[in-house]
Amino acid sequence: MRGRFTVNLQVRRAHHQLLFCINMSDPWQECMEFCKELTKQAGKMICEALQKDIAVMQKSSPVDLVTETDQKVEQLIISSIKEKYPTHSFIGEESVAAGAPSVLTDNPTWIIDPVDGTTNFVHRFPFVSVSVGFTVHKEIEFGIVYSCMEDKMYTARRGKGAFCNGVPIKVSGLEDISQSLVLTEVGFKQDAEHFTAMMDNIRTILTIPVHGIRCPGSAAVNMCLVASGVADAYYHMGIHCWDMAGGAAIVTEAGGVIVDISGGPFDLMSRRLIVASSRTIAERISKALTQFPVGRDDKDD
Amino acid sequence: MTGKWEETAPAFTVFPERKSWTLPNGSQSSSTITQQSHPSNMADSLQTVMDYAVAVARKAGEVVQTALAGDRKVMTKSSAVDLVTQTDQKVEKLIIQSVKEKFPTHRFIGEESVAAGEACELTNEPTWIIDPIDGTTNFVHSFPFVAVSIGFSVNKQVEVGVVYSCLEDKMFTARRGRGAFCNGEPLQVSEQTDVHQSIIATEFGSNRDPEVVDKIFCSMKNVLKLPVHGVRSAGTAAINMCLVASGCVEAYYEIGMHVWDIAAGSLIVSEAGGLVLDVDGGQVDLMSRRVLAANNRSIAEKIVKEIVLFRPPRDDALDHKQ
Repeated sequence: MRGRFTVNLQVRRAHHQLLFCINMSDPWQECMEFCKELTKQAGKMICEALQKDIAVMQKSSPVDLVTETDQKVEQLIISSIKEKYPTHSFIGEESVAAGAPSVLTDNPTWIIDPVDGTTNFVHRFPFVSVSVGFTVHKEIEFGIVYSCMEDKMYTARRGKGAFCNGVPIKVSGLEDISQSLVLTEVGFKQDAEHFTAMMDNIRTILTIPVHGIRCPGSAAVNMCLVASGVADAYYHMGIHCWDMAGGAAIVTEAGGVIVDISGGPFDLMSRRLIVASSRTIAERISKALTQFPVGRDDKDD
Repeated sequence: MTGKWEETAPAFTVFPERKSWTLPNGSQSSSTITQQSHPSNMADSLQTVMDYAVAVARKAGEVVQTALAGDRKVMTKSSAVDLVTQTDQKVEKLIIQSVKEKFPTHRFIGEESVAAGEACELTNEPTWIIDPIDGTTNFVHSFPFVAVSIGFSVNKQVEVGVVYSCLEDKMFTARRGRGAFCNGEPLQVSEQTDVHQSIIATEFGSNRDPEVVDKIFCSMKNVLKLPVHGVRSAGTAAINMCLVASGCVEAYYEIGMHVWDIAAGSLIVSEAGGLVLDVDGGQVDLMSRRVLAANNRSIAEKIVKEIVLFRPPRDDALDHKQ
């Protein structure tokens, strides 16, 4: 009896050591697998909500929409993660709207947009996604964007490539901007100068000329469209860290570039970005744009 | 097959009237129903045309999908951003040849045939109005909205409309007086009457003439300032119209697209309970290269006020230029 107990203990120790080794080689892989399952569940919740009436509320303006589904999905994600990883931090769109801080620290942090493309969701326009980015020491370790109406799960782990439904994806690699398809979004801005600058930027890019400009309505999906090679660039001033965190790893792991609007290094809390199939295109777009202030996610406006 | 086109008397009386009718899901909708004094074999003939158009559109969609897996050599037409590919040309030939086999006396207006110099004239004759690939720029980039659009008109009225969004595998269909469908499910426009809660679809287009670009941007700014929930650009007129018919957007407007982009879509919108007008709010003219498709008059009237008008060269002008 004593002998068998000793053998069992040895086996258990070896098993723990093995798990320890696996986790040491990629400590965040387990988080990522957990996140994939969670975003699938969240996507299911969204698709179910699409079958019913959707009551719409406004946040900062008549065009800044939120629904119960945004709030419910975020609660689901955060409570599930808190159960499994009680020491981790969160920056979630609806939590921040309710007053939670949005400062990025070194702590493992989950950056969540429960429904990216809420306006699309309200109208059942086909691009609606759940977006989660995970950072440690302020560096993005993995990103997951689930475009639920299309049933496309985009994932990327730092250093391990980008995938859509398990199939590797790559940017187009295009260098010639005159052959490019560019994504951005148009939206009403209270400040007349900012509104004019936004429209002038689109006009400047359009008349380079480029092949075309598309406005699909979800920042996270836009980033994945560039990562898949279906669009060659996406730029935006005025989004948030939760819109960008999921897609950022996906674009870089697909071989693309992500930079600040100025052409300098990407800053997750800056509320602006350019993603592109190549540095040449990113720089050309940066040159064409007039900047306007959009504030920062880690500062009060 | 009964009711061969050559045997049917060409002149028949048309009595348009507004009626309400019941959708398969039990809800009421209204549409202008054309009461025709022709024999019932005309209705059979139209159904044959519809079934054939769907089959041909699906086949064309397969060619498009196959082409997407390979290289797409891109050429330009009227400008550096007005694109065409061999697939556009191949698909149009496929459609026209298939239709000619079954309906040898029918006429055609096809985008690539017109580009090659064929006349673009709508007569009373049964006419197939074809865009082999609506969204060629999207096709070149594999952007998800690419459609085969087939409209069929008799006496200058669109009787059958088919739009196959091949990357989404969505077959949109409509027959005059019989409702609109997507993959067999009935379509209904949005019920929204408040323009401030609407999404509006429009496009920047492929014209880079600064005066035209000015007007396009001015219209878009006006619409955004209403404000609306959002403006979306999917990149194809035919699919934009299907988005109106599906209730995903409340309205779509554009100046600069062509008759082959909107012929099928216009019937799909009206059969889903929507309106199709000119951008000035008046009656639509399919050859005018201007369209406003909306879920209802309330939204349409608000949007009309914001559009800066201009007139591109007509599709039926003798000299076809951008």
